[in-house]
Amino acid sequence: MAELGLVLIAGAKFGAIYALAALGLVVVHKATKTVNFAHGAFAMLGAFASFLVVVHWQWPYWMAYVLIPPLIGIVAALIEFLILRPLRRADMFTVVIATVFLGIALSEAFRLTYNTELLAVPGMFVGMPFIFGGVFVTQETLWVIVGALVISSACVVLFRYGRLGRGMRAMASNVRGAQLCGYSVDRVYMFAWFLGGAMAGLAGVFVAPVSGVSVELSIALISAGFVAGVIGGFDSLKGAILGGLLLGITESLAAAYISSAFKNCISFLLLFIVLMWRPEGLFPEKVARRV
Amino acid sequence: MSDLRRVLAGIGPALVLLALTALGLGLDNYPKFVISIALVSMLVGASLVVLVGLARCITLAAASVMAIGAYTSSLLAIHLGIPYLIGLAGALLTGALAGWLIALPGTRFRGHNLAMVTLVFQSVCIILIREAKSLTGGAEGIHVPAPTLFGWTVRTDGDFLLLIGVFSALAVLVLTVLVRGAFGKNLQAAAGNEVAAEAFGVSVPAYLTAAFVVSSIGIAFAGALSAPRVRILDPDSYGVLPSIFMLAYPIVGGMHSIWGGLLGGGGLRMLPEVLRPVADYQELFFASLVIVVVMFFPGGLVELIRRAVSVVRRPADDRRAASEHTAARRPATVQPIVAESPEPLLQVAGVDKHFGALHAVNSARLVVPVGGIHGLIGPNGAGKTSLFNIVSGFLPADAGRVTFDGTSLLDLAARDRIRLGITRTFQHVAVFGQLSCLDNVIIGRGRNGVLAAVGQSLDEFRGSAHAAAARNEALAALDAVGLADLARTPAGSLSLGNQRRLEIARAIVSDPRLILLDEPVSGVAEAEIDDLRELLLRINAERKIAMLVVEHNIPFVAKLCRSLSVMGAGAIVAEGTPADVIALPAVRQLYFGEDVAA
Repeated sequence: MAELGLVLIAGAKFGAIYALAALGLVVVHKATKTVNFAHGAFAMLGAFASFLVVVHWQWPYWMAYVLIPPLIGIVAALIEFLILRPLRRADMFTVVIATVFLGIALSEAFRLTYNTELLAVPGMFVGMPFIFGGVFVTQETLWVIVGALVISSACVVLFRYGRLGRGMRAMASNVRGAQLCGYSVDRVYMFAWFLGGAMAGLAGVFVAPVSGVSVELSIALISAGFVAGVIGGFDSLKGAILGGLLLGITESLAAAYISSAFKNCISFLLLFIVLMWRPEGLFPEKVARRV
Repeated sequence: MSDLRRVLAGIGPALVLLALTALGLGLDNYPKFVISIALVSMLVGASLVVLVGLARCITLAAASVMAIGAYTSSLLAIHLGIPYLIGLAGALLTGALAGWLIALPGTRFRGHNLAMVTLVFQSVCIILIREAKSLTGGAEGIHVPAPTLFGWTVRTDGDFLLLIGVFSALAVLVLTVLVRGAFGKNLQAAAGNEVAAEAFGVSVPAYLTAAFVVSSIGIAFAGALSAPRVRILDPDSYGVLPSIFMLAYPIVGGMHSIWGGLLGGGGLRMLPEVLRPVADYQELFFASLVIVVVMFFPGGLVELIRRAVSVVRRPADDRRAASEHTAARRPATVQPIVAESPEPLLQVAGVDKHFGALHAVNSARLVVPVGGIHGLIGPNGAGKTSLFNIVSGFLPADAGRVTFDGTSLLDLAARDRIRLGITRTFQHVAVFGQLSCLDNVIIGRGRNGVLAAVGQSLDEFRGSAHAAAARNEALAALDAVGLADLARTPAGSLSLGNQRRLEIARAIVSDPRLILLDEPVSGVAEAEIDDLRELLLRINAERKIAMLVVEHNIPFVAKLCRSLSVMGAGAIVAEGTPADVIALPAVRQLYFGEDVAA
């Protein structure tokens, strides 16, 4: 029982990070109808920045949480401005290719500046672990799960009720109509990328102490974020959070009870199953039926 | 095009590979090695042109397919002692299988989902290779024995270069024939406009599957060719990153021709060997290069070179440009045939269609006689388009009968109608923009099954009488609509009026018995409308092709058609000759809201 509890907690920890990664991906997709394959690289940059702040410069840990998300957000918005905006009239094929290679360029730039395999980052909390019914939960783990989920949920609320969130949803459902209602495509797209980048950066700060900073982080997080997003229905923010948790816990269960090699396969298996049999996702947003 | 030029265009790419091989054989060991691996990448690039360039599918699984080929031939040799040549054939087989497996989900998705599905395939493959230690040697890798062909053991760098050069040239020859021939053109049609492709018998899922299979065979073959050259196979050399860089080959080189794949594959693979000192930066450089190409030079290096060459060859280019602006030849005016057989060709009876609560088509009936021109008019929302789509096979009916010369059409896929002798045009012109006008019309001939297209590609390469006959038929159809001068122009660069003419040429080339015309003059300039009507009348008179026309332009319909049906709120409300029907009070009320009683 205690073992299962440990496995579930470990799964929830990764799941919360996946949820955050998926959320950024979904926000960008919701507003701009493009999937940013460089999203994992943004998260990796966030993790790297966290290493700089916490280890290299020895600044207080909370500064990583405050400084890095907006910083990565600005990087993302700049990239939208410089690369995606000129491609706005291109088809999805071109945009996917551009963001795939953008992700590679960013991770390569990181690899070249910091020529190491893995950078370790300490946790924010190092105090005594809590014990719930025989299950040890470190303060760090609790912080990752609760912190990531609270921030994700806050984003969902912001997106639902904020003016820009409304603009993004309008833009996604009908660009021309949203423009006529006074929403600027440029501003909404840029803000979506800023928000997506900020969430990627945040996911990076959360993941840095959990798995360290490495080039692999980039592909690991884009894969997990994408799968979580697909499970959730890709246009549903709540779905992305639930999908992230589901993915994290499934992976953790698979690693514990089947084999660690299968852990990598399981997410792909999930993606495959959902895409083939339920392309609208497990937790789709209610959509009015079109007549 | 002369015979010599056609043959050269077909075997040119393969000759370049052979020339590189010959050049390499005269050089030192290291250049021999570099050229060998470049040849392999050129084959990979050429294979990816089929999938990425023509079918516009993104794949992040190229390296895993290469691994499948490499491990197939090597493991057959290691575990079963099977000779290398048979191992190569085995790689072709497993490559085809891999392509088919990816295509299963691959034909259902586009864009980001497809990219992700292929990434799944890539990752799972590598995990499997790593885990199946007893078979594959796992992550540590496995030693590949030196191959032997007919008693010749391939050992030195020169031997390897010769082996790889000859076989990759052969494979590139096959790919060139396919890409330049009907197969490549139909594939571009399927990727460019699915609806139009289906209407002319190009099955989009079948072609996309074929694209995955063909390109995977090529890549797996490249893997099997290079396996003994790399000596030790390990799963990590076939990971996600190599896959992504292989995707860069056709993009940087130019996606739309074999040359682009060769240039991208050879160039990108050789560059880091040439620039050893800065090899560390190659990935960053490649990734940035792809972004720059995608943003500023979507045609890749090949397009840049072509542009540079065409600047040098100004005069020839000018002539072509001038011909694009010449107006289409005005067809002679003809009298409509008066004698009309009343025998019905197309019969629609009791057809119903509901969209939720909306009763879009309400037990509609109409008849198009043999050789007749029948118009279908009605205000917006009357259900014309729904009825038209039911007849053309793009929308299933809820109930009713649609028969063509006694054959029921309702259970027939859209792409099967052309076999019976029914073709169509589209309201929003749906020409295959990247293909020339001539190729657009050749697709209109309708013999577009995947295997038929492969055979046709071979015919074209050999210059057989078949291929010439197809071209001549197509040219005759282009001539009939007045576009013969523009046969070589890409269809996408024509004016709207000429694109409508091209659609008509494409619809008549298969000698159909019925053409379905979906708003044939919508968006066409006033001056051209009369020309188009004369053209349709002439086709009707000369080729005895019946027509069903949906159109909003009442004067046009009234002068073109010999009978009319009027739809209102889903039902046929009036039928008869144009003059009678238009004068009917019920019709006037439908259109103008005139109060009949007044």
